Amino acid sequence: MGDPLVLLAPVGIPLLGVAVTALLRTRPRACEALGFVSVAATLIAAIALIRRAIDGGPAALVVFGGWPQAIGIAFAARLPGPALVVVASIIALAVALYGHADIGPRRRRRGYDAMSLAMLAAVNGAFLTTDLFNLYVWFELALLAALGLITIDRREAQIGGAIRYAAFGMVGATAVLAGIGIIYGVAGTLDLETLATQLGSGPPSVAVAAAGTLLLCGFALKSGLFPFHAWLPASYASAPLPAAAAFAGLLTKMGFYALLVIVAGVFGGIGATTAVSPPLLTTIGVMAAATMILCALSALAQSDIRRILGYQVVAQVGYMAAGLAIGTRDGVAGAVFYMVHSMILQANLFLGAGAIRRATGSWDLTRAGGMTRSNPLFAFLFAVPILSLAGIPPLSGFWAKLLVIRAAFDGGSAWIAAAALVAAMLTIVSMATIWSEACWKSLSGRRVRKVPGAMLAGMAVLSAVTLAIGLMPEPLLRIARLSADALGGTGS
Amino acid sequence: MNVLYAAAVAAIMAAAIYMILSRNLVRIMLGLALLSTGANLLLFTAGDFSNRQPPIIAPGQDRLGDAADPLAQALILTAIVIGFALTVVLATVVLRAWRATGSLDARTVEATEQPDAPELLDPDNG
Amino acid sequence: MLLILFVALVGSCIVPLVARIMGKGAGLVVALFPFGLLGAFIALAPVIERGWVRSESWRWAPSLGLDVTLRLDGFSFLFCLLITAIGGLVTIYSGGYLTNRSRPDRSRFLTLILLFMTAMLGSVLADNMLVLIVFWEATSVLSFLLIGFDGRSARARRAAIMALQVTAGGGLALVAATVMIGHVLGSYSLSGAIDRAPEILASPLAAPIIIGILIAAFTKSAQFPFHFWLPNAMQAPTPASSYLHSATMVKLGIYLLARFEPLVAGIWWGRTVLITVACITMLIAATQALRAESFKAALAYSTIASLGILVLLVGLDGPAATVAMIGFLLAHALYKAALFFCAGSVLHSTGLGSLRALGGLRKSLPLTALACTGASLSMAGIPPFLGFISKEFLFEAQLESSWELIPLAIAVLVNAVMVGVAAVITLKPFFLKADHPIEIEHPESLSVAVPPLLLSLAGLVISLEPDWITRVAIRPAVAAVYRQPVKVDVAVWHGLTPMLALSAVVVAIGFVIVRYWRPIHLRLRRQGGFERFGIERMWERLLRTLLRASAALTRLVEHGDLRRYLATTIGVIAALVIATWWRIGAAPRIVIGDRPMLGDILVTLTGVAGALAAARAKNLLTAMVAVGLTGFAVAITFMTNGAPDLAITQFAVEALIVVLLTALLLIVPLSVKSTRSGSQRRTDGIIAASFGMVMFVTLLDMAAVQNATPAADWFGQMSYIAGQGHNVVNVILVDFRGFDTLGETAVIAIAALLAGSLLGVRPGKRDGDDAGQPVHYSFAAASGPLFVLLLVASIVILWRGHDQPGGGFVGGLAAALAFAILSLARGVRSAERTLRAQPSTLVGAGLVLAIVSGLPGMMGGQAFMTQLWTEPYGWVPKLSTTISFDLGVYMVVVGAVLAFLFGLQREAAR
Repeated sequence: MGDPLVLLAPVGIPLLGVAVTALLRTRPRACEALGFVSVAATLIAAIALIRRAIDGGPAALVVFGGWPQAIGIAFAARLPGPALVVVASIIALAVALYGHADIGPRRRRRGYDAMSLAMLAAVNGAFLTTDLFNLYVWFELALLAALGLITIDRREAQIGGAIRYAAFGMVGATAVLAGIGIIYGVAGTLDLETLATQLGSGPPSVAVAAAGTLLLCGFALKSGLFPFHAWLPASYASAPLPAAAAFAGLLTKMGFYALLVIVAGVFGGIGATTAVSPPLLTTIGVMAAATMILCALSALAQSDIRRILGYQVVAQVGYMAAGLAIGTRDGVAGAVFYMVHSMILQANLFLGAGAIRRATGSWDLTRAGGMTRSNPLFAFLFAVPILSLAGIPPLSGFWAKLLVIRAAFDGGSAWIAAAALVAAMLTIVSMATIWSEACWKSLSGRRVRKVPGAMLAGMAVLSAVTLAIGLMPEPLLRIARLSADALGGTGS
Repeated sequence: MNVLYAAAVAAIMAAAIYMILSRNLVRIMLGLALLSTGANLLLFTAGDFSNRQPPIIAPGQDRLGDAADPLAQALILTAIVIGFALTVVLATVVLRAWRATGSLDARTVEATEQPDAPELLDPDNG
Repeated sequence: MLLILFVALVGSCIVPLVARIMGKGAGLVVALFPFGLLGAFIALAPVIERGWVRSESWRWAPSLGLDVTLRLDGFSFLFCLLITAIGGLVTIYSGGYLTNRSRPDRSRFLTLILLFMTAMLGSVLADNMLVLIVFWEATSVLSFLLIGFDGRSARARRAAIMALQVTAGGGLALVAATVMIGHVLGSYSLSGAIDRAPEILASPLAAPIIIGILIAAFTKSAQFPFHFWLPNAMQAPTPASSYLHSATMVKLGIYLLARFEPLVAGIWWGRTVLITVACITMLIAATQALRAESFKAALAYSTIASLGILVLLVGLDGPAATVAMIGFLLAHALYKAALFFCAGSVLHSTGLGSLRALGGLRKSLPLTALACTGASLSMAGIPPFLGFISKEFLFEAQLESSWELIPLAIAVLVNAVMVGVAAVITLKPFFLKADHPIEIEHPESLSVAVPPLLLSLAGLVISLEPDWITRVAIRPAVAAVYRQPVKVDVAVWHGLTPMLALSAVVVAIGFVIVRYWRPIHLRLRRQGGFERFGIERMWERLLRTLLRASAALTRLVEHGDLRRYLATTIGVIAALVIATWWRIGAAPRIVIGDRPMLGDILVTLTGVAGALAAARAKNLLTAMVAVGLTGFAVAITFMTNGAPDLAITQFAVEALIVVLLTALLLIVPLSVKSTRSGSQRRTDGIIAASFGMVMFVTLLDMAAVQNATPAADWFGQMSYIAGQGHNVVNVILVDFRGFDTLGETAVIAIAALLAGSLLGVRPGKRDGDDAGQPVHYSFAAASGPLFVLLLVASIVILWRGHDQPGGGFVGGLAAALAFAILSLARGVRSAERTLRAQPSTLVGAGLVLAIVSGLPGMMGGQAFMTQLWTEPYGWVPKLSTTISFDLGVYMVVVGAVLAFLFGLQREAAR
């Protein structure tokens, strides 16, 4: 496939899928099949894309409409974008598999498939675009798709969650839009690469500082960093489970990706090359440390599995932000590694939570149990993400945490490493509790049902990827290094 | 000019935020709509608006003479439409909230659900 | 060795499947596997004997500094022998012990045991510290799984979690230490780190590194204050307790300390900490061992005491200490595993765990009684058992070292308690009469009796025939730890030495303890202080505090009040912007631009007035109208500043918002009570004003640095030449930045789907009446022509958009307005009939059209949305893919707005 097609496909295929599923809304089975085919095709395209991204040649770049670069909107196969596209597509595939057993015709008639595909398109678009305003457009698409998925059953709690989600989302989007406007006003361009060189040369200015902070806050809000995280656990809990899994895997990471691109890529966060970057990095560091510890702590007292996981999602974003805040190439590489690992893992954990609910009838840990005995295969598939999240070697979570902690020591930010270690301890406590309650404890008086095969298949895909990253960290490490180079501006 | 518009953007945004911080859902929604109007005006001031000529190439010419910044306008157009879509969606959600709870107070519209709510026990209520 | 380890890993997963097929005897078959590994290690003995080191390496993830380097020296070798040999016996024993479990359970248990064995082998062989951590944590997790093997019991679950919390926490300390070592030395080699200990000691990170290592070792080896998890871990099935929690895993901490001795001893407080902690541990454990009621608990506490002795020996300097440490390690592994086996057999046969209830089992469990006697004699240090020799070494080490006498006194006391405990656990269950008759549930089988017998026998044989083991294991191990060859003389009789005298003292005190065991035991049991002030209580209190803090934090953060969330968010954003300004120390540059015209001022003030009125409005309708006023003022601003496209779009949007929101406001109450108190309103006002101020300063500064906008200039130059359109804005929207427009179209399409999902009529419910509210007849009459007029206008706007203000968006909005008028005048049903299609169909088709329009250009390998133009006949206007793209946008906009319009009006009519 040529570059134009390879770069278009991860967004084009799901968008076309949105259009056609919108036309076929009255036929749920056709929607499901079409959704699955679209996601599978997207995954194939994504794999072609990552191969193109790491083949060592000059980075693939396509300006839509065939215009010169920095004039039109371009998609580039610049790491870490393509790697994240692959991960997003894998998650979408697993969620689609899982959804076969969890999403019935009514939700599909309400447009579940179209909204899921739109979210995939939006996420992939954000990962590939090189244009600041285009990035904003994808965020808005993701926001609306997420709203649609949250409210799909029209339950009261969903509506309440949606209002919170929308209010926060729109405030964040406005901060982003204002930041973009100011940047455009100062630099006169929206192309990320051109911006990086322009902002790197200028003297410190009030407008640029304000724009940087507004963008930081807007994207930090999207990624759920402290103190902007309060909306997240509740709204994740109200979405249908497969959608919540996709949120966990995709949405917060999309926000963090933007943060990474803006702070490390545009504002020279690696090595603090612009006047604005030191305060931005400090802000992210404080947010990251607070997020890691406070959210891991908050997870302890929860008994609703979705809320535990919701808090863990945020805590994990804290780790990534910690990697970014260190402000070194190793730190950013650690953040990228962490992001890839954690997207897979968190989607998987949510899928597991759904399976537990399906088998035991409750989201509540105190009322769930008996999974090891009734569903040994499930227990195995669920153990992988649990252990990985707890940072037990040799699973992916251990390498990810190790990279961040090591980069923190080497980058002279020992306090970040200390916060990461404390949060890791809290995470272990919380994961051991989940395992013990949901899997070991026996359920008195209630029978534990079998988890449907489709759900297990979805989890198997993600668990296999987690295991693969854990046992063979080298390829992902290489990608993470290349990503840090690309963001730092010296790589291919 | 710039002072005037900067003040206008600041005032509109501040008023919008004041509305958003209310607990009345409709007021929040209107506040968000106002906020996006303010953001659009901000984008407009970010473009070069020293020239009042519309960026339309005169008939018979093939290049644009002196005119307002067309790129900023294109961005604002996109932002207006997105803001419109979001406002309308939010209005619909507010309507659903009113239908479900009979209240417009953000405090009474619950966002947390009980883990064992019976309607949830049916895996697919469709 | 890589091969051995690999075989061990794969075999551990496969071999136990035998237990699913075979019932009885599966343990024996599976045991062949660890014994095979033992053989493989023994085959390496000649290498070790010569004092050589064997290492192998495999690159795993080089960019992480992660090479699987395995290094077999004397110390590792001793561990490997113990791990595989005892592993084999445990497997046999489990086969006989787990008879009352199902086959899958047995298979699962054996898998865990063998995996644990592999992890242990990996831990002691690893030379790369990251690899060491991998295996180290694996032992913690497997221990967790084994303790909680009977997960239905709440006590087992609690014990498992506690063990994991403590040991995994220690693992994190090891991770931290490793990362810091890597930071200092640039490598993760364990042997390298020890060789380069002076470099580490010279770095400022020395103290944190050593603390990390100490915490890791103390948690794993159950030293004070982390000792409490081990007695609880006895919830594990006994074979696991015997293997993990006495013979091998808990010795990993000792292994780590012994390896890092040069480093720990290099800091001034290193040895003091080791010896102090060891002494405290020994005292606590000895007392608890006397208090212990159950067989296994007594063994567990004596294990902790023994581990304390080992830590003490690591802490002492001099070669004798190393010899003693190795000797005691070996002796303890042998006798304690045997004793656990015996305890397990008793538990299995009688179902009783309490020492006081047991008695007289000599007859029903003769072989076990024999094994227990042998092992206890070794534990008590009675010649000629190995325990005696190791105790001699211990005292010799203490006498030779440069330390005070207090540790020696404690060691004597603790050893005396060991004598007492050893006697009690042998005499009480087997030889003394039981208070109540005991029922035997499972008679003794060979597979449970032989393993302890073999271990006890080994304790005797080694001390009588020590040559081989001294040559291949003990001496190389001592040399590896002490880092130079040491003369080791293993013999029962060393002549009349001070050590012998001390041994005699120990045995004498031991006898006194045995004699008065019952009163001592009962008195200690009555002391509640042990529980109340125990570390376990403190740990639990800590965890409870954490939980309470967590709950409090959640309540604090998740108060559920949207207003406070948003106020925090916006306030923080404003504060952060100001903080950033302060940090970079830049002052705003203020350039007063050209003077605005009066008209501009009036329009702008109108807009601001609208916004302020909206904020102050009591009535929602007023607020909506005021917001609309601001929108119109902004539209006029656009109009007068050269943005006609924006102006008409903004007008259309404001008009539609009014139409749509009116439908909402018809439903909800318009006049509502204020939801904020006066002080809250003031706070909100301050937040809003400060955000506004921040924006004001920013925008002033931004205006001072208006840069060139190369892209915008380029568009002006090229829009007609390359994009064939006079309206630059439209050319940007459909061509230069058409991709944005496509994304935005998708946004609208999704919004339309949301309308369908949120406003859709539930199946089975008839939708409301069709006529709608009666409207003025003139409006009804005028609506028809108005509709046609607007629809035609919308198509004209769409068509000419490329050259004049207009385009797909505005066209779509205008068409939607046309339908809005129709439905207001004649009802929703009528408007729907006029539309003929479902709005969602329009949306889907439009989106397909917009995407497909971008494809033809790709034929020649061009980018997506490369637009094609054709002027087929000259008189037909030029046709292009941009026009079909714009048509797609038009359809999506019409469909989406109508989806909301129809849905909302239906809702309003309900």
